[in-house]
Amino acid sequence: MADTLTTSSDTGVFTRDQVEMLSARKGEPEWLRQHRLEAYDRFAAAPMPTMREETWRYTDLGSALSFDAYEFAAETKPVTAIRDLPAVLVDEIEHADDYSGRMVQVDGSVVLRELSDELREKGVVFTSLDVAVQEHPELVRQYLGTALRPEEGEVSADTKFGDLNTAFASGGTFVYIPKGVRVEAPLRVWRTITRPGVAVFPRTVIVAEEEAEVSVVDQMVSADAEGGAFCAASTEIIGEELARVNYIPVQRWGNGTIHLSTDRVIARRDARVTSLHVTLGGALSRVDAQCRMEGPGSHVDLLGLYLAEGKQHIDHETLQDHLSPHAASNLLFKGALMDEGHGVFRGMIRVAPGAQRTNAYQTNRNLLLSNSARADSLPNLEIGADDVRCSHAATVGQLDKEEMFYLMSRGIPKEEATRLVVFGFFGEVLEQLELEGVRKDMYGLVERKLLRNRR
Amino acid sequence: MADPLLKITNLHAEVAEDGTEILRGVDLEMEAGKIHAIMGPNGSGKSTLSKVISGHPVYEVTDGDILFRGESIIDMEPDERARAGVFLAFQYPVEVPGVSIANFMRTALSAKRGEEVDVFDFHDELVEKMEMLGMEPVFAERSVNDGFSGGEKKRNEILQLAMLEPVLAVMDETDSGLDIDALQVVSAGINKIREQNSDMAVLLITHYQRMLNYIEPDVVHVMVGGRIVRSGGPELAHELEAKGYDWVKNEAGAEAELARI
Ligand SMILES: Nc1ncnc2c1ncn2[C@@H]1O[C@H](COP(=O)(O)OP(=O)(O)OP(=O)(O)O)[C@@H](O)[C@H]1O
Ligand SMILES: [Mg+2]
Repeated sequence: MADTLTTSSDTGVFTRDQVEMLSARKGEPEWLRQHRLEAYDRFAAAPMPTMREETWRYTDLGSALSFDAYEFAAETKPVTAIRDLPAVLVDEIEHADDYSGRMVQVDGSVVLRELSDELREKGVVFTSLDVAVQEHPELVRQYLGTALRPEEGEVSADTKFGDLNTAFASGGTFVYIPKGVRVEAPLRVWRTITRPGVAVFPRTVIVAEEEAEVSVVDQMVSADAEGGAFCAASTEIIGEELARVNYIPVQRWGNGTIHLSTDRVIARRDARVTSLHVTLGGALSRVDAQCRMEGPGSHVDLLGLYLAEGKQHIDHETLQDHLSPHAASNLLFKGALMDEGHGVFRGMIRVAPGAQRTNAYQTNRNLLLSNSARADSLPNLEIGADDVRCSHAATVGQLDKEEMFYLMSRGIPKEEATRLVVFGFFGEVLEQLELEGVRKDMYGLVERKLLRNRR
Repeated sequence: MADPLLKITNLHAEVAEDGTEILRGVDLEMEAGKIHAIMGPNGSGKSTLSKVISGHPVYEVTDGDILFRGESIIDMEPDERARAGVFLAFQYPVEVPGVSIANFMRTALSAKRGEEVDVFDFHDELVEKMEMLGMEPVFAERSVNDGFSGGEKKRNEILQLAMLEPVLAVMDETDSGLDIDALQVVSAGINKIREQNSDMAVLLITHYQRMLNYIEPDVVHVMVGGRIVRSGGPELAHELEAKGYDWVKNEAGAEAELARI
């Protein structure tokens, strides 16, 4: 198949040979090597996005991203003590106390992973994707690529980066929760990039079997550095019948980093999945998040919170894909934009013919905190069934003058009043999160960024 | 004689955006510990005056001055005025979604004291003041004014007053929206605050005598057309209630006629 595809764009350092080498070095089975190569060929054949395309109208990836500018992450050795991890992570990991398991990825490798014996004995798998391929090849084979599966041949700028991730995925996280097992405290993952100019490709696969429950918090943290890094991430979540999954990726890369994430959710009968995408870091961030309601009674909440400063560009592309009747999806993305920050949201609710009794909502709200900040919001509906309840709403607004006067008339200085309003604004999103500890952490991160911006 | 606490002279203010003049030469003097009432017909500029005292940016002072403890405050930001001791209980309190009363008040108190207030001390104090005003403690966790009834909003204003202990409390129609029982509770609360803080001056804007029965004014002013047209003792309020505003309006009109001649 490879030679029938014409390589349309410069792939820079991301060559087919590199895929072969990576797969060989990891000692992967043939099916996975093939899987990677097919993804690579699609990646190479897909055009670079341009602003002429509807889905990339407000995001100029072409001028920000050059495939020549990066190198592959080196493989890193395992670490036994937290204090031996990169400095940006040490404090944070030491202070995070509620978890059922911990995993740390440094550049291309997972260097630390822990899971309680109790959960291990119940059959829970929480490991790097690399290790899962060795230890649980059948599980990985069964699930990898089930939620992220571009239709063969149909390549486009929108499929390009999910495929890039599949081709070069390294490190990564594989979570498997057997039938009926409930993992109470969240599984916590930290990823970092140690040097500018490095490209990383974390792939997360979360499978919750029937009536299983799990929460995964995925922190992506790196220090600010001249010249950023590149992260092409991807996540697949499969919630089987009556499963309950919370997934919270928190993007806090250093300034300059480009982050592209392709995230897919499949919710089967009566499954309930909640994702919260928190975007605080990076220079340019684009999250392409889709959920498929494949089973009746499934319910997916797609939540998002973003806060931009400087010239940060934060783009979200979402799809709530209703394929079966009696399912619900609820999207709420809220962003605050400071300085010359730019937020982009493009959302779609698609209801297939036959997906009767769908409840689908989509709301994007933006708060502009400076005169140079900007937000573009484009909600959309495509409804093929007649007995549905769907709505979408989008707003771009400034701080309410009366609200600010009210707060200031109690002696609260302007910056602090702003912080309170922004907290209140994000509260609507964060209060939907069942995980109290994580919610507090998120308020803390928002506060830190607001305080830093004030200086 | 010592400086009055509040001295407003020839205050002119307009809507900054379009230059509509609303206050047309207000003169008012208040001493510490005194209660003044302002009455006057709808649209005469009472709320505008209260917001100009607090520094609402929508209005621009074009002439005159506001001296608070002898110093002009017209160039101060609203938060600076508040920390200096000015408090405004809003006629229409603003909803702040997602910000709890507890968080709001703790932030305000910390700003006023210049240091983080202790969470536990603060909480005890808040609960005590809520009890005094007949508010359920669960209110502390509710978003400020969000979905509150008219009466609840007004109580919440006085709760804030009780917490912040200002030197000058301007109350804009705190009585409207309160039922008879609530009016009694809130008035008793205000009197209690005054007992504890006898230097606090109150500028009470109202349309009705009923609140003045509980909180007896030392001076009553009548505002018409953006000016104080008449001042007198507590009996003036009774007179207004009996006769309506027409007679002061007519008098004011006649005065204006005379001035023009
Ligand atoms: N921001 C504004 N923009 C335009 N007009 C305003 C503004 N603020 C006040 N006004 C006008 O100024 C006049 C005085 O308003 P204000 O609210 O001060 O009256 P009031 O005496 O408090 O009335 P009420 O007894 O009804 O509360 C009104 O005609 C009002 O419409
Ligand atoms: Mg008024």
